[in-house]
Amino acid sequence: MKSMIELKNLHKVYATGTHALKGIDLEVNEGEFCILLGLSGSGKSTLLRCLNRLIEPTSGDIIIDGMDVVAAKGKKLRHIRRKIAMIFQQFNLIKNLSSLTNVLTGKLGYSSLVHSLTFSQHKDDVKTALENLRRVGLKEFAEKKTRNLSGGQQQRVAIARALMQNPKVILADEPVASLDPATADSVMRYLGELNKSDKMTVICSLHFLSLARKYGTRVVALKDGKIVFDGTPKEIDEKKFKEIYGEDAEEVEIR
Amino acid sequence: MKKENKFKLSLQAILTDLLFWIYIFGCVSFLINHWFEKPIPSSFVVIFGVAVGLISFILGLSVARKVFLPTIRTAKKWYKSFWGWSVFLILLITFVVGWNLVEVDLYKLFTKFQNAGGIMSGIFNPNMDILIICLTALAETIYLALLATVFAIPLAFILSFFAARNLMPRTFLGNTVYIIVRTIATVFRSIEAIVWAIIFSVWVGIGPFAGMLALMIHSIASLTKLYSEQIENIDPGPVEAIKATGASTLQIWIFGVVPQIISPYLAFTIYRWDINVRMATIVGFVGGGGIGLLLLQQQQLLRWQNVGIIIWLIAAVVWIMDMVSAKVREKLQEM
Repeated sequence: MKSMIELKNLHKVYATGTHALKGIDLEVNEGEFCILLGLSGSGKSTLLRCLNRLIEPTSGDIIIDGMDVVAAKGKKLRHIRRKIAMIFQQFNLIKNLSSLTNVLTGKLGYSSLVHSLTFSQHKDDVKTALENLRRVGLKEFAEKKTRNLSGGQQQRVAIARALMQNPKVILADEPVASLDPATADSVMRYLGELNKSDKMTVICSLHFLSLARKYGTRVVALKDGKIVFDGTPKEIDEKKFKEIYGEDAEEVEIR
Repeated sequence: MKKENKFKLSLQAILTDLLFWIYIFGCVSFLINHWFEKPIPSSFVVIFGVAVGLISFILGLSVARKVFLPTIRTAKKWYKSFWGWSVFLILLITFVVGWNLVEVDLYKLFTKFQNAGGIMSGIFNPNMDILIICLTALAETIYLALLATVFAIPLAFILSFFAARNLMPRTFLGNTVYIIVRTIATVFRSIEAIVWAIIFSVWVGIGPFAGMLALMIHSIASLTKLYSEQIENIDPGPVEAIKATGASTLQIWIFGVVPQIISPYLAFTIYRWDINVRMATIVGFVGGGGIGLLLLQQQQLLRWQNVGIIIWLIAAVVWIMDMVSAKVREKLQEM
């Protein structure tokens, strides 16, 4: 199986002195659905943002699809980012623009400035965007401003935006943490589908073991900036769970 | 407490006490001179001020002790303590000095009303014959305010991006650009439009053009500040998301930043036009043209009925602008 993401001895020390990542070594193969577990502050968000350099890693190597992410600069970096889509906890849509325009912004990395300013004039871009909205079941919401959509709908618009990038990797930073359990499951189902039918590699941080078991093919747990568990979802029993989340933790089922 | 920290605090405390008492004795000497015409040499003021300041500081009772280095001795109710009465004294003496400097005269206020009779009767009997001339001057004022605002928008819009902390990278170049743009905007804003009008009325001659330039400079500076603060308050999430798609910096600004700021920008701009119309009248007084200049001329000629009509027209325009801009801004908030 082809290796998609390779991290070697990755460190991140913030200007405040916080040592958020302490030597992460990780290899993720193409087509895996890798769940990141860990307490808030364990380094999950930092790790995800280092992968597309929204945060600059302090040292270490990141290879994604054979490309050296750490060494890339300017245009090269932007070309790498096109292939790595990201989904956020707060959806991060531009709220006073329509769903369609928000989805079209996924194409920015592929467009020149002039082209991007005239997005709505390009039939093929609009067609792809509408197709992606249809995939997440929101075609009839294309013209609606995203501020008027529910949380689950907004996250689906964000997924459509990610699809616009035609990515090989999807990074999802607690994509369902702001959603109710039923909506959370439906959003995860879309991510699962992209993973299975489009063969996209997904790295997704979560707090719910039930969702991890249902969708993940692999679980990596972080604690204090280090990997403390790496295995299949089935291997996480009560003992392992307490190791990751601390002695007082109880697993909460969401169903 | 760290040693150097304590040293710094003590230094601040001593200086505060000295200035505190020098100020009090300065006020006292002014009052003595004002009432009894007995000038007191400034060396006396300094010597007394320093002496009382030092003694009260050393005894540990002073105001600065209370503020910088509080101890048991200063932890009393204000009316039972030395620092309390010192503060009372400084407030009282400041008020008395202010009253005398401003030449407050209640007798004049309540007995010399007839002096303003001319202007008052002018206001209630405005001269309608010069309405057309006034309206022409008024149009000049409104249009010069409009042009000043319109010309200021693009410049302020572009500058605001460079004056926004969250958009400027924390590199040497980024910091330099940020600090330069910020400083220039602050300096230009702190110079009143009326001063700019004096400068430009000499530069391009008295008239509406000078007034327009004055208001434009002031508008650019103040809109840059308002705009950039708006950028600093945007939600960083969408910016991050756009960045993650592989967009260039300019694309990030256009798609991640601009949509978030466009409606507050419009609201600020309309508010600015509203302010500019009001300021255009004042600017006219010092050579900026328009209704302000006309008002100045008529006032100097003591044509109170002409002054009357001008005052009514200015009031009407300010009132209408105020209402319109409030309504438009309300609508923008809903967008």
